[in-house]
This record gives sequence, C-alpha cells and structure tokens, in this order.
Amino acid sequence: METIAVKMEKITKSFNDVKVLDSIEFKLKRGSIHGLLGENGAGKTTLMNILYGLYNQEDGEIFINGKKENISSPVKAISLGIGMVHQHFMLARPFSVVENVMLGRKSRRGILLDTKQTAEELKTLAEKYKMEIDPYSKIWQLSVGEQQRVEILTAMYQGAEILILDEPTAVLTPQEVDAFFETLKEMRDDGKSIILITHKLEEITSIADEVTVLRDGKMIGRRAVDSTVTKDDLTRMMVGRDVLFDFPKNTIEPGEVKYSIKNVCAKNDKGLPALKEFSLDIRENEVIGVDGNGQKELCEVLTGLRKSDSGEIILNDKKMVNKEPVYYIEQGVSHIPEDRHTTGLALNWSLKRNLILKELNKAPFVKNGLLQPKVIDKYWNETKSEYQIKSINGEEKARALSGGNQQKIILAREINLNPQVLIANQPTRGLDVSAAEYVRKKVLDARNAGTSVLLISADLEEILQLSDRIAVIFDGKLMGILPRGASTHEIGALMMGKKQEVASCEN
Amino acid sequence: MKTKLLNSGKKAAGAVAMIALALIIGAVLVLISGNKPMEAYATIISGAFGSKLRLSELFIKMIPLTIMALGISIAYKAQLWNIGADGQFTMGAIASAAIGIYVELPPFLIVPLSILSAILAGGLWAGLAGWLKTKFNANEVITTLMLNYIATYFLAFLVYGPMMDPQGELAQSEVLKESLRIPLLFSNYRIHAGIVIMILIILLMFFFWKTPLGYKTDLIGQGEKVSTYAGINVKRTIIITMMISGAFAGLAGWNETYGVQYRLLEGISSGYGDIAVVIALLGELNPLGIVISSFFFSILMVGGSCMQRMTNVPYSIVDVIKGLIIIFVIARTAFRNTAIKYTMKEWIGRRKNYAK
Amino acid sequence: MLSNIFTLGFLVSLLASTIRLATPILVPALGQIFTQKAGILNLGVEGTMTIGAVSGFSVAYLTGNLWIGILGGIIFGMLWSLLMACLSITMKANQVIAGIGLNILGAGVAVYAYRVIFGIQKLPPQVETFSIINIPLLSDIPIIGPIFFQHNILVYLGFLLVPITWFVLEKTTFGLKIKAVGEHPRAADSKGISVAKIRYSAVLIGGAYAGAAGAFMTIAYLNQFTEAIIGGRGYIAISVVIFSRFIPKRSMLGALLFGFASALQMRLQALGINIANQLLLMLPYIMTVLALILASKKSEIPSAYTIPYSRLER
Repeated sequence: METIAVKMEKITKSFNDVKVLDSIEFKLKRGSIHGLLGENGAGKTTLMNILYGLYNQEDGEIFINGKKENISSPVKAISLGIGMVHQHFMLARPFSVVENVMLGRKSRRGILLDTKQTAEELKTLAEKYKMEIDPYSKIWQLSVGEQQRVEILTAMYQGAEILILDEPTAVLTPQEVDAFFETLKEMRDDGKSIILITHKLEEITSIADEVTVLRDGKMIGRRAVDSTVTKDDLTRMMVGRDVLFDFPKNTIEPGEVKYSIKNVCAKNDKGLPALKEFSLDIRENEVIGVDGNGQKELCEVLTGLRKSDSGEIILNDKKMVNKEPVYYIEQGVSHIPEDRHTTGLALNWSLKRNLILKELNKAPFVKNGLLQPKVIDKYWNETKSEYQIKSINGEEKARALSGGNQQKIILAREINLNPQVLIANQPTRGLDVSAAEYVRKKVLDARNAGTSVLLISADLEEILQLSDRIAVIFDGKLMGILPRGASTHEIGALMMGKKQEVASCEN
Repeated sequence: MKTKLLNSGKKAAGAVAMIALALIIGAVLVLISGNKPMEAYATIISGAFGSKLRLSELFIKMIPLTIMALGISIAYKAQLWNIGADGQFTMGAIASAAIGIYVELPPFLIVPLSILSAILAGGLWAGLAGWLKTKFNANEVITTLMLNYIATYFLAFLVYGPMMDPQGELAQSEVLKESLRIPLLFSNYRIHAGIVIMILIILLMFFFWKTPLGYKTDLIGQGEKVSTYAGINVKRTIIITMMISGAFAGLAGWNETYGVQYRLLEGISSGYGDIAVVIALLGELNPLGIVISSFFFSILMVGGSCMQRMTNVPYSIVDVIKGLIIIFVIARTAFRNTAIKYTMKEWIGRRKNYAK
Repeated sequence: MLSNIFTLGFLVSLLASTIRLATPILVPALGQIFTQKAGILNLGVEGTMTIGAVSGFSVAYLTGNLWIGILGGIIFGMLWSLLMACLSITMKANQVIAGIGLNILGAGVAVYAYRVIFGIQKLPPQVETFSIINIPLLSDIPIIGPIFFQHNILVYLGFLLVPITWFVLEKTTFGLKIKAVGEHPRAADSKGISVAKIRYSAVLIGGAYAGAAGAFMTIAYLNQFTEAIIGGRGYIAISVVIFSRFIPKRSMLGALLFGFASALQMRLQALGINIANQLLLMLPYIMTVLALILASKKSEIPSAYTIPYSRLER
C-alpha cells in the first residue's frame, strides 16, 4: 500500500506573468495531518486549488496514491477522493444541509431526490466524527462554525480520503477550534489525510504531523513536526531572515501623539468580534506597522467603511466615531485600500478622473459647479511627472495600467491630500520590486512631512523596514508594541498569542 | 481630443451599421410580405419629412422621447435600471393637469407651478423606487415596472372618476385654458414651444456630465465599494439619481399635457417609456447620441404610421426594426464588454482540459 | 344597482371567470418560477406569449387541430425564449434590456407573421375553441360546480401544472440544480453542474409555459388573434412570480387575485357601474411591491438574480 497520498512535483503557476508558484514540491503522507504554512500571498491556496482542479498548473505533475493524474476539474478531484473546504463556503444559504450535500450527486432514485436516505447517512457520518448537525436545518440558520462542519461533512460524504482545509480556524471561536481539532484527529486516526492551510504557527505545533513552508511562491522546506521543531525555526522559514538590518535611519524623530485609537470593538462580516478593545496611539512623523488578524476591520473602522461597536478614534483632539466616510476624508485621513481594483480605483474611469476621485466636489477642480478640465490637466501633468506614472495622456482607463502604475495613482491621490493620517493597507501587494520600493519611499516621505502612518502589511519585511514601532494584533487584541529593530522572534512570539511579558516600550 | 473624436466616430459607425442591418432585415421582411421595400422606406421618409405638417408631427414625437431618454440615461449611467419612465411621465401629466385645471391663479404663476409639480411628481415616483431599493434592497426593475401599472390605473381612475370632464362622455379631463397651453410655433401646425425646452434640456445634459453630481452618478455606476471609498453617500445618490431621472419623464408628461393634448386622458404616455429606453441605449447614454437616435426613432414612428396608411406594408415592420436594433445593440455591447471573451476563454479552457 | 351585484348568479359567473382569466396568468408565472429561480429575470414573457398566441392560432387554423396548435405555441415559445437565453446566458447581456427588446421585437414579429400568413381579410379568421368539459358529478354540484368544474380542458391542465411545478422544483435533482444555479452558481459549478446548461433549460421551460399560455389566449379563450391579445399578461405573470415569492402554490393565489380584479372590473363595466374599479385593478400591483419588500427581507430572492455567471470573474 502506497503511503504517500499526494505527491506534487515541480508545480509552477503564473497569474498575469507573475509567477505565484515556482517549482513547488509537496508530499502528503496517508493518515497524517500536514500543515501548509506561509504568510498571506505565499501561494498556499493557489497550490491547493491546483490539487483540487480549480486551476491548472503550467508545469509539474501530480500523483495521487502513486498514480499520475490530470486533475482538470473539482469533479475529477472529488472522484479521486480529494475534498476541499474553501475559506468562502460553497453552500447555498436557503438550502438545507442535506440539499447542499445532494447537489451534483447522482441520486439513487433516478431523477427524484433521495433526501431521506442521504439525511440518515449524513447523520450517521456526523455522529461518527462527533459533529452534531441536523440534516434538515437551513444553512442560513447555522453559525459559521456549523457551516464549516457541513462543508467537511459534504466532503467526507463524497468519499474524500484527502481533505484540504483552507484557513479553517479563521472563522471559529477559540472553543470551537478545540472541538474542531479533536474532529481532525479523529479523522486522521480513521486513516484520512488532511492538509491544513494556515499562517498560524500555533496550529502547526499543536496538531500537524508534518509541515511544508512556502514563501513568496517558493518552497522553503518540509519538516516533521516533533520536539525538535521550534516556533522560531518556523518563523524564520516563514519570514525569511531572523533580524533585519540595513534600513535607512530616519533623521526626523516622531513627535507628539496625534492620532489615538481607544478601546475600539468591531465585528467582522460574519458577525464575529474582529477587534476587541483595541487601542493604539500614533505620533506625528511616525509609521506604525500592524501585523496580525483583524487588520482589515481596523482599516475599515478608521475610514468609516465599517461601524464600530464601541471605542473612540481621536485625531488632533477631535473625536471621530462612526461617521460617514466623507467625514474622515475631510478630516485628513487618507487611505490606500487593500483592494485597488474594487475599492481604490474606478477601473473604467480615466486616470485623470481617478486622480481626483476624492475631490470631485472641490476647488480648484470645480468652479461654478463645473469641473475644470484645464486645471485637472495641469494637476495631472504635474503628478504624472512627480510620480513617474507611465501613461499616454491620462485619458486611458485605469484598467489598462499595470498594478504598479495603478498603485501610483492611488498613492499620488492620497498623499497629495496632505493627510494628517495615512492608512496604508498592503500598499505593495502584487507589485514588482522597483514599484514596491517606490511606494515605500513615498510612504516614508509622507511620514517625514508630518503624517501619522498606519501601515498594514502581510509582508513582515516591509513592516520591519518602514515602521518606527510595530503593533501586533492577535485575535483582535493588541498583543504588544515593539520598537524599531525588533527581531522576528519577538514578533513571532506576539503573533502566536503570547502576550508581551515586559511592558512595551511605548514612549 | 483626437482619440475622443476617433472613439465617438467608431461608436457612431457601429450604431449606423446596426441600424443598416436592421433596415436590411426589415426590407427582406417587406419583400416576403409581397411589397416593395424601397417603396416602403420611401414612404417612411416622405411620411416624416414630406411636408411641413409631417415635419411638425415628427418633432412633436421627438420632444418627449428625447427628454425621457435623457432622463433614463442618467439612471442607467448609475446602473439603475429604471424602466418606469411611462409611470413617471403619467404622474407628471396628472400633477400638472391638476394644477392647470383646479388652481385659480394667473397663468404666469400657473405655468411654472405646473412644470414644478410635474417634475416633482415624476421625481418622487421614481425616487420611491430608489428609496425602496436602498431601504429594502427591492429590485428597481420590478418596482418601477409595478409603479408604471399603478400610475396607469391611477390615471384611469381619475379620468373615469373625479377628474372626468363633466361636460363630456369620454374618459378625459376637461380641457386646459388656452392661456395655459404651450404656445404654438406656427399657427397652422401642432409643433409648439416645447421644443425650446427640449433644446434647453439637451444643453443642460452636456453640462450635467461635467458637474460633480454627474460625476457622482457615473461613479456609483462603477461600483458601490469605490464610491463609498471616495466619500460618496451611495444610498442618497441612488435616490437622487432616480429622482432626477424621473423628473425628466415628469417634465415630458407636462409637455404632452400642455403642448399636445391640452387635457388629461387615458394612455397619455402611449408607451414612450420603452422606446425611450431603446433610444438611450442606442445613443450610448451620450446626450448627442440620444438626440440623434431619438430623431431616428421619431422618423420611424411618424413615417411608419404613414406607411401603414398609404401602402400595404404593416406597421409591425417598424416594431421589428426597433426590436432588431435593440437586440443588436445588446449583442454588440456584450461583445465589447469582454463578457463574450470570457465565455470563449472558458470554452477553450474546457476543451483543453478534456483534450489532455 | 348594487342589488345586481349581490345576486348569486353574478357571483358564480364572476368566480368562474376569475378562474378562466387566472389561467393565462398562472401558466406563464409558473414557467417564470423556473426561469427566475435559476437567476434569470426574463422581462420578455409578454413577447413570448404574443409569439405563442400567433403560432398557436396559425398552427391550429392550418392543421385544424387545437392540440397541435398548443404544441405549436409551446415550440415557438421555446424558440423565442432561446433568444433570451442566448443573450442573457451566453452573451451575458443585461437581462432587463434584453427582455424589453424581445418584447418589442416579439410584438412586431407576431403581427407581421399573422399578416403574412393570413393576409388582409374582411372578417378575421377564427378557430373553434376548446369546448367546455363538465366534470361528471362534480359539475352538477350547485354553485361549486359552475365555478370550478365547467371549464375547458386547458384550464384544468393549467392548474394541474401547479403541483407538477412544485414537484419538479422540490423533489427532483433537476429542480435542486435549478435553484442552485440561481443561488450559488459557483458552488454548483464546483460540483460539476453546468450552470449554462441548467439556466438554458430553465429559460426554455419558461418559454414553453409562456408559449402555451399565449396559445391559450387565441384558441381557448378568444377564437382569433388580435394585436393586443396578451394585453400585459406577460408582465402580470412576472408580478405574480414576485408576489408569490417564487412559490408555485402562492402563485396560484396571485394569479387568482389578478384574475379576480380583472373579472370584477369587466363585469362591473358590463353593468355600467363605474365605481373605482381602476383602484381595484391597481391593488394587485401594490401588493406585489409589498411582497417584493418582504421577499428581500427574508432573502427569498435568488442571490444570483439577474447576475450572469462567469467562472473567471469573482
């Protein structure tokens, strides 16, 4: 009997000419839990989507139980005994559990649904793995954790021997996580092979048998998880270097506290708490890097895109809580959003219009109730040369530009507003090295001009390079604040949920 | 500037090609029905331009169509699928007629008051659909459609009931005083000064897309996320956009009541709303494009009914041509919007998979 | 005057005609439940019905067989809705505009075809309509009999479609697939269901129902074809679907409500009574708007309503 359930060799995949997976090797032992570790954007999900038949690799081969397979679609993957639970559940909300399970399956009653039989088998299966679920309840009545159980059950019911779980604990409460891990162990002991995609070290050490680490689309290493593996080792593999040297010293020291976030609580889209009593002070001429979960919700609360449940945000002694987005813009809060395609830019608009997206009402661009093309042209030309935007005449649609040039438009727009606060969320994601370097430089320029910068990035290196201080969030709470020059060890410790023992070095 | 010209040139060429294709198919159908296509089309042309009288009729049709299509274009730019222009037109007609018939004030007050009431009535009628959308997430296609019927029956109720001309037997209100009517341009023809209002509206529209409000409207059509991010109150803008869109239709209703019919009567909107949708789309939501396609459709309609009377060719040919044009417009947009490319890609991708 | 209304005879004939008038609304509405559940809003029902009306009439007239006429209505209804399917599913065009366009085109094509087939005649060509079938025993029951059991066969069949439609949607794998492509096409796709194929069949079923209802108008209700024969029933059918919040049983109630409103209006007019019957006709539409608000709140509307599906777009 083959002991290797999945073997992936030299898997390569690009999106829009950017290599997101570069010759990855992956091996999964039968009857084991295998952690797939890496930071956001490392390529974990893409690799697994290939295994599940959602994407096709450009190069490389996949062996299932020792046999070479061409997995052209999820249906094929299912027939090979592979199941996947996505981060976004593939469940129809008005349907009952059993209806979701029956969808796409051949019924034993011909064209009629075999609801009763399926429901009973489902119940038996659920009991076997100690997952309580009523096959007839509707999906929308279930909690997120229960919905996840339905997804896992569906995969098991379809006969999955190999189960891929994409960041499964992200949607669970801590109590649910414990029960969930028990279920996973149960399954493993039953002979199932499980792949656990995660960026949380703790999960690897507590449940995985083996781990494969990806970074930036490259395979870094594969380890058995035993007593010799430390979290530090894993952090180093995940992030790259131990300590980062070699960043330019800032000549301007941070000034007084200008921007305060006080005890903010907020929920995520699923209604679970994402920020818990979160507090942070940012000074003038300072970049604070933020790492950990809850970043997205933090950003949205700070810019009025999400309502907070409690807490205060104070800028220059002015309280700004749960106002309309326009209020924050007027108060000088600039925002480089995470998703430039749906949020940062109107893709079908010209570059010029995108540049003045937030000033469609304002002088000098508007005079006597009409937009002033000449003024806009002049501003465009200045900005274009200052930010080195590659464009013919500014009339082309934002859609037509490269990611780097698109980001420059956003950057120019946000920084030219002379912000009091700049919230930069993943400002360099998907950019090539030189464009990323340029963006970072501009962010630092803004800092030096007096702006308080809140930098959110999944790229730890970027955070270490730019930040005056680093705030680490874990589970919606501020775990601690580290000074410039902190080691990844210290960050890793906080990210794992170990609260800082020594009082932080807040000035 | 050059690229702009080139672009609009391309668009115009596309529109002309689609019209030509529809006309050719129409010609074949005329032929099949045992008539001469050239004769049919010649009659349409002479029916629209043949005499001063015909020309006057042409513009009488064109005024409401243009105004309504321009209003529709505003909503569509914001991706709000208002198909209730007929209802908004009707409400505008009702409100303005009520003012003209029941309010005892000097004409110089009544006229602006009636315009205002028509704009308000049309605007509120459409705004209601906008509000339902923002408040209850009610699909505006369905609500505007329902509001059309509600307005139609409301009008019928009025002209059969409380507003019925006490002197007459017909389902219509009493006639407006002459002093209130939109003045005629020439004594012998029906064409009236409403055309000045149409021209003003057209000019206004050229400016509208250059105002912040125009940009905002455009922006919410680009996506809710980016609009919210840019500091726009999306819900409020949706309601305002719908209201402006409806106000145009309401104004067209006033125009029809005060310039053509001089009274309220059943079916006053004569199904202009659907045609105005076609005109707005054929004109690519662009003011100039709308004016041209509205002109074209007025020719088809006025000339078409003349053709029906003077030859054996049925009017349904005109409906077929109208229908074909809109289908072609949709197909062309679909091709352009890369949607079709996606389909091709999917298809090719699938074949590749199976081939492996 | 009012005493005329409150006679038993009046009431019985009013309710009987309510049922008869409800049929050509009920049938297309049931068809549209399939279509809309699959995520397609086909505003072109009116046009499809007009096409069904002219083709049903022509086929029946030319073959002398009413059943073949109904079949003709169904086939041409399906062909016409194929256009809608092609535009909205393959080309991913805006469904609202496509529907309006097909309505205008359908009206034109139907009238044109009628002219070409029958030419201009002094008296409009007519067919013998389906005769009334008295259900044995039941039709003899006083009051109940004349209301429910003295109709032509198509009325019975039309109402029989209610449980059939419900059964297909709720109890078969096909029904589950239809609901799935309207609710979560990506999930359906990931389970190997062809979203396009299911959506095409849902639109075609809607076309078949609408075509049959159109033919009903010309060969089971009237006995001839006129330009305005459908008279907005296609749009009413769409309202009924919304009104019933996509549930076949409730759509029967909706169709009866619309049928009752127009039956009452016709009867009252015949009696020369002009109380506010227009307000009465308005009522079902107002109730439809209210139903839409309720449906939105309870998220009964398919999530992918009016949204084209593309595997590559997120």
